[in-house]
Amino acid sequence: MNPLRDLQTDFQSFLLRGDERMLARVTGSEKVSATRRLAIYYDAYRLRLIEALDSNYPVLHVWMGDEEFEKLGLAYLEAHPSSHFSIRYFGHRLAEYLAQAGDYRDRPWLGEMATLEWAMSEAFDAADDGAVSPDDLAAVPPQSWPEMRLTLHASVHRLDLHWNVTAIWNAIKQERTPEEPRREEWPQAWLVWRQDLKIYFRSLSVDEAWAIDAVRAHESFASVCEGLCEWIDAPNVALHAAGLMKQWITDGIVSKIVQS
Amino acid sequence: MPPHTERPYLGFGLGLRPAHYETILNESPAVDWFEIISENYLVPGGKPIHFLDRIRARYPLAMHGVSLSIGSHDPLDREYLRQLKALADRIEPAWLSDHLCWTGVGGVNAHDLLPLPYTEEAVRHVAARLGEVQDFLGRRMLIENVSSYVTYPESEMTEWEFLREVVERADCRILLDINNIYVSSFNHGFDPLAYLDAVPAGRVWQFHLAGHRNLDDYIIDTHDEPVIDPVWELYAQALRRFGRVSTMIERDDNIPPLADLLAELDRARRIAGLPARQSAAAAAPA
Repeated sequence: MNPLRDLQTDFQSFLLRGDERMLARVTGSEKVSATRRLAIYYDAYRLRLIEALDSNYPVLHVWMGDEEFEKLGLAYLEAHPSSHFSIRYFGHRLAEYLAQAGDYRDRPWLGEMATLEWAMSEAFDAADDGAVSPDDLAAVPPQSWPEMRLTLHASVHRLDLHWNVTAIWNAIKQERTPEEPRREEWPQAWLVWRQDLKIYFRSLSVDEAWAIDAVRAHESFASVCEGLCEWIDAPNVALHAAGLMKQWITDGIVSKIVQS
Repeated sequence: MPPHTERPYLGFGLGLRPAHYETILNESPAVDWFEIISENYLVPGGKPIHFLDRIRARYPLAMHGVSLSIGSHDPLDREYLRQLKALADRIEPAWLSDHLCWTGVGGVNAHDLLPLPYTEEAVRHVAARLGEVQDFLGRRMLIENVSSYVTYPESEMTEWEFLREVVERADCRILLDINNIYVSSFNHGFDPLAYLDAVPAGRVWQFHLAGHRNLDDYIIDTHDEPVIDPVWELYAQALRRFGRVSTMIERDDNIPPLADLLAELDRARRIAGLPARQSAAAAAPA
């Protein structure tokens, strides 16, 4: 028997599930009963964790409204109590929860909004990898281009979204009435990243999305060009690929050029 | 671990909050030091680290953690300690502090400062773990008294006896939260001065001041309001008893403009018998 462990186990069962065993383990006073005293912790736990979700999912919160968002927060908290030392990571499974939980899986756009906002919060405090300049690319000698590989910034996230959640995100941020959720015929590729401490996202054409994925898989410039031939005529492909790389450097998403 | 040294004095500080980052860098306000919530900077990079490094270049910092869970029956979180140490090695804080509490058990983090029973078993448990933490970090910790709303029938001593036993056995220092003493004295009906009198003076390295919410029958420690008069009076008593101790105002919610907190900090200075600094700083060239 371990009294301290038993007390903590009972207290936490009360916090998480309202387990009544704990009520007999605290002393009330004339003014404030044991139940009311424990309720302070019960309520504060829920308030604090829902507030933490709000700080990672502010647009989802506005979109769903206070009542629905609180309901979601309570259900998520019950399914996935925090296990990380930092409350900042409490919400990391919200998109997964929304996609699977019975109350939400018939509204798949909610999970996609959570995916978008989580990617943005991950980009927000991703490692400071630095960024290469257009001059760095220009300094690569022509004979090194075929084997050249790029390392993308740690803040880069690639998303494929079926729903128009980015348009809805923009509308809510600008305090406009968002359009209704609409499923696209094909999933749209998106890029989320951080540049100069600001978070950006933009849509990607099919070929650019493929090229970014290939670069992240450490493919060389030559093999990126080869793959891009799926969409681009062979005589133009090297120029097209170089153009994409210049754009990425302008966006600040290339942290290193590796020449073999 | 370095030997005991004379208590350093940082002066009058504030909690570093993101809402004030730009103002701090643009105006170099008359704050002697800042206290950071350690966990907010245990991230790979981006805005938090960007501002932390720039503010560290201008101000002394102290690290204040909320996840040590020193009283939990769970094993210590080694990954947390490793990251805490790495941050401390990088920013060289004046000291590190955390709370005399537990935050969860069985791998769960409730992210709340939950009260411990004041028992000999808990003293032994906490003191042993503090020893381990201090050995790992290579520094002595400051440990803070928390606000509480419940009492356990198994407690064998008062809160202040418990605090004293823990810090003496672990040979650590105290971050004495004046507001928490006030809140708990109201909630549990004890004399806050008896608490102050029992605290080992030489171990008190820092004071916290904060606001709270009074719900008539009990007080909740919310840190979202200005410090109230009775807490200022208790602060004056603490200064008389402990002498010059680094003081900071802890505001965690309902964050006002920095100027409001600077005015509150000036009130602390006046109580300590020092001139206000906010107006002097505003008149000085940037």
